[in-house]
Amino acid sequence: MSITTTWYLLLAAILFSIGTTGLLVRRNPLIMFMCIELMLNAVNITFVSIGSHLNDLGGQLAVFFVLVVAAAEVVIGLALVVAIMRRRSRTNADDLKILGG
Amino acid sequence: MALLIYQRETGLKTMSEFLRNWLTVLIFGGVGILLVSVFLGLGSLLRPSRDTPQKRINYESGVDPQGDMWSQANIRYYVFALMFVLFDVEAVFIFPWAARLEVYGLFGLVEMFIFIFILALGLLYAWRKRLLRWV
Amino acid sequence: MSTNLLIVAFERPAIDWHAVAPEIVLLSVGVLITLLDILFLEKARPYMAALSGLGILATAIPLLTLGIDGTERVLFDGAYVVDNFSLVLKAIFLLAGYVVILLSTNYIVDGDYWESEYYGLLLASLMGMIMMASSRDLISVFVALELLSIPAYLMVAWRKRDPKSNEAGLKYYLMGVFASAVMLYGMSLLFGVSGTTVLSEIADSIDAGNGSSSVMTLGIVFVVAGFAFKVSAVPFHTWAPDVYEGAPTPVTAFLSVASKAAGFVALLALIFVGFYELSNIWEPLIWILAALSMTVGNLVALRQTNIVRLMAYSGVAQTGFMIAPLAVAGHSLSTGNQALSAIVTYLAIYAAMNLGAFAVIITLARRTGSAEIDSFSGAFHFAPGLTVAMTIFLFSLAGIPPLGGWFAKFEVFRVLATSGETWGYLLAVVAAINSVIALFYYATIARKMWADDPSEKDLNNIEVTPSLVSALAICVLVTLLFGIFPQLVARFTEVSLLAFGV
Repeated sequence: MSITTTWYLLLAAILFSIGTTGLLVRRNPLIMFMCIELMLNAVNITFVSIGSHLNDLGGQLAVFFVLVVAAAEVVIGLALVVAIMRRRSRTNADDLKILGG
Repeated sequence: MALLIYQRETGLKTMSEFLRNWLTVLIFGGVGILLVSVFLGLGSLLRPSRDTPQKRINYESGVDPQGDMWSQANIRYYVFALMFVLFDVEAVFIFPWAARLEVYGLFGLVEMFIFIFILALGLLYAWRKRLLRWV
Repeated sequence: MSTNLLIVAFERPAIDWHAVAPEIVLLSVGVLITLLDILFLEKARPYMAALSGLGILATAIPLLTLGIDGTERVLFDGAYVVDNFSLVLKAIFLLAGYVVILLSTNYIVDGDYWESEYYGLLLASLMGMIMMASSRDLISVFVALELLSIPAYLMVAWRKRDPKSNEAGLKYYLMGVFASAVMLYGMSLLFGVSGTTVLSEIADSIDAGNGSSSVMTLGIVFVVAGFAFKVSAVPFHTWAPDVYEGAPTPVTAFLSVASKAAGFVALLALIFVGFYELSNIWEPLIWILAALSMTVGNLVALRQTNIVRLMAYSGVAQTGFMIAPLAVAGHSLSTGNQALSAIVTYLAIYAAMNLGAFAVIITLARRTGSAEIDSFSGAFHFAPGLTVAMTIFLFSLAGIPPLGGWFAKFEVFRVLATSGETWGYLLAVVAAINSVIALFYYATIARKMWADDPSEKDLNNIEVTPSLVSALAICVLVTLLFGIFPQLVARFTEVSLLAFGV
C-alpha cells in the first residue's frame, strides 16, 4: 500500500488533536509548550503534504514562516517561565491563581 | 434521521449541503472528544491503581528526584539556548536566498544585508546588556 | 501561485515604495530606538517615549499622502493591499498607539522597570497591526498576527517583579499561542481545499465550486475560532479579565483597543475578501458569538468590583456589538458594505472612548492606589476634570447621544434592522436589551464618582501629567466630535472590501 497524501493529513490531524489535548489536560508549562509545538508541527505537515500534493511551493513557503514564528514564540514562552521561576520555586499553571479566573 | 428525511422530502439542496457541511464539523468535534475520552478513559480503566507514596515521586530516568524540580536547571543555560534558537532559525530565510543568489542580484544582496543588520542588532543588544557573559 | 512560484518570486518584485512607506518609517524608528539603546544604554532612556511618539507621527505622514492619492495599490500578487479600508484602520492603529505612548510615559518608569525596550516592543506590535490592515493573504495575516502578539506577551509581563503581571503574561501567552495554532490549522485546511494562500484567489476557488467542501467549513470554523480568541468573544474570552487585571494598565488599554481592532481587521479581511460567498457557514457562527459575547459580557460585568476587570467584561460585551453586523453581512452586497462601514466606525469610536476611560483609570488608580470601583467614589471632590471626562467616556460606551458611542451603536442597529433577515431583527433585540443592562453598570460608576463621599481625607486636587492631559484631550475630542458630527466619521469609514472578487 502506497502512502498517499491522505495519510499524511490524517497523521497531522491526529498530532493536532494530541497537541490540543495535551495543552488542555497538562499543567506543566514546559509540557504545554511542547504540545503547542506539536500543534504547530501538525500544521506544518499539513502545509507540506498539501503543497507537494498540489505541486505548489506555497505550502513550503508557509512552513518557513510557521517555523520561525514558532521558534520566536517558544523563546518568549520560556523567557516568561524563567522570569516566573526566578521568583518562585515551582511553576505549574494551576499555581497561577492570584488573579482568580 | 429526522433531518435526513426532512431533507429528502423537501429537496432543499442548499439546505442539505449546509447541514452536511456542518455535520462534518460535528463529526470532527465528536471524534476529537471521543479520542480524548478513549485515551484517558482506557488508561484509567486498564491500569491497576495501587497507590504507594513511592509512585507519586516524579520519574526522572530512575534517579530519585532530589530537591525542587527546577533547582537542577541553571538559568544561564536558558539564556544561551534561547538566543541560539532565535538566531539559528533565521537561517531558514537566508538559505533559499543563497540558493538563488544570482537571480536576485544587487537588490537581493542589499535586502539580505538589511535583514542581517536587524538580526545583528538583536545580538548587539544582547551583548550590550551583558547577556553573553557567563556569570 | 503555482509550481513556478519560486522562479517568479526571484525576479525582482516591483515594489511600490510609496505604498509601503508607513511600514518602512515605523520599522526605521523601531531600529533607531534599539540602536540608541545599544549605544547609550540608560542615557537615552528619558528620550525614548518622545522619540517613539514622534516616530508614530512621522509614520502618519506617508499615510496621509497615500490617503490623498487615493489609488488602490496591490502588491506582491495580491498578498498586500493598500486601499481605503487599510488606510483608515492604519490611522486608527497609529492614533491608538500614540495615545498609549502618552499613557505609558510616566507609568512604565514606576518601579524602575526597563523602559527603552518597552517602546521598541510597542512599536513592533504596532508594526504588526499596520501590516495586518493590509494583509490579504493567509501567510501575511499570520505573520502580522504574530508580530503584533509576540511583543504583547512580553508587554503584559513587563512588571517583572510583580507576580500578578508574570501570571497574566504566561496566561496570555498560552491562550494566544493556542489560538494562533488553531487558526493556523484552519488556514492549512483552507490552503488544502483552495490550493492558494491569497484571499482573493480563495474566493475564486470557492466560486469555482470548492466551497461546498466540508473541509472548507472546518477550516473556516477553526480560523474564526482563532480570531474569536484574539477579539475576546465569548466563549473564548476567559483570558481577558485576568490578563487585563495583571498587565500594566497602559498595556491593558493597548490590548483592549489596538489588539482587538487588529483581530477584527483580519477577521473582516478573511470574511469579506476570502469566503464572503460562504455566508451560510460563517453567519451562524458570528451570530452565536455576537449574542453570547453581549449577554455574558454584560451580565458578568454587573458583578465586578474591580474597575479593570469591569472594563474587561465591558470590552467583551462591546466585542459582541462590533461583531454583530457581520452576522447579517452575507445577506446582500449592500448589506455587506454597510456592515463593514458600521464595524470600522465602531472600531474608531471604541478606540477613542475606551482609551480615554483607561487614561482616567490610570490617573485615578495612581492617586488612590487601588483599582477597586469603591476607591473611586467621590472622585468629583478631588478630580473634577477627570470625573467629567470619565462620565463622557462611560456614557459614550453605554451609547447615550450625543456622544460617539451612540452613533456607533446606531450604525450597528441600522445594519441589523435593515438587512431584512429574521436573525438580524432577533440580534437587534438582543443588542437592545444589552444596551440597557450596560447602561446600568456604566451609570453606577459615574454615580459613585459624582455623588458618593470620598473615602480618603486628602482632598487636594489631583495632579495630572501633561502627557495624560493630552491623551485625555485627544480622546474627549474624538468622542465628542464623532458623536455630534457623525457624518465626519462616516465619511472616513465609508470603505469597501467587496469592490472586486465577488
